[in-house]
Amino acid sequence: MERDASRVPEVTDQDTELVTAIQSGAAERFEELVTRYEGKLYNFGLRICKDASDAEDLAQETFINIFRYLKDFRQETKFKNWMYRIATGVCHRMRRRSKYAPERELSLDEFLPADHADIDTELPEWAAMPIRQVLNRELGDHLKASVKELPPQYRLVLVLRDMEGFSTDEAAEILGITPANVKVRLHRARLFLREELKGYFHDNQPHTPRS
Amino acid sequence: MTTNHTHPDHKHDHKACLELFAKLSEYIDGETDEVTCEAIRAHMEACPCCTTCLETLKRTVGFCEEVGDEPVPPGFSKKLREALSNMP
Repeated sequence: MERDASRVPEVTDQDTELVTAIQSGAAERFEELVTRYEGKLYNFGLRICKDASDAEDLAQETFINIFRYLKDFRQETKFKNWMYRIATGVCHRMRRRSKYAPERELSLDEFLPADHADIDTELPEWAAMPIRQVLNRELGDHLKASVKELPPQYRLVLVLRDMEGFSTDEAAEILGITPANVKVRLHRARLFLREELKGYFHDNQPHTPRS
Repeated sequence: MTTNHTHPDHKHDHKACLELFAKLSEYIDGETDEVTCEAIRAHMEACPCCTTCLETLKRTVGFCEEVGDEPVPPGFSKKLREALSNMP
């Protein structure tokens, strides 16, 4: 796993010291990297993959690739971004094998209300109340299930941006697409989810008759 | 998103709603330029439909940001470390 120890990382963050140490020969510290990111990668897998078993496979295959190729990582970007790039590559390969969730385009037009009767002018309770009062376990599960309904190229962008906390530029770098493309996909993915949430609250909350 | 006859006191160009609709996520993320940002802000003051649209979209993002992680399943960590220890 050793590489040229004299090379100075171009980007530094909380992983730089550990990654540099491993690359310089402290292979036993790879364990620390696993401890630091096993939960993150497993949860990324849960959001992206079909089920928990695939999420475990994704995390394991990603760590195996990190172990193999860490010596070649030049630290020109954050380790975390490089790790997620590997994870999304693993995810693409797994999806090709399983034929899970075929690609399809989401058009902006499909989220425009058909006519003005569909438009609510009053803010619904679920958007007005404090978020912690609304977001319970059941809603969280529904949200995660809805994310899985997104076509893969939209799901990846939404998960990276809104759940994993990457910036537009970082998501673009991880996915190998332009920042403009990230923005377009993200907006449509959010609109798709919003429709799912509207349906959920419509079905699960008592209706107040309009005066 | 809306039409001029939706509300009697709501007089503005429906085209503006449609144009801004495409930019709402950028606006939420603080990624629009100042001119667009100001245009959206001014539009929202006059258009309750777009305000609802914006706020529900913001809340959707908020839910995504706040939804928690699951613990890793029992045995996962051990299996993972075994797989890695078998690497050449």
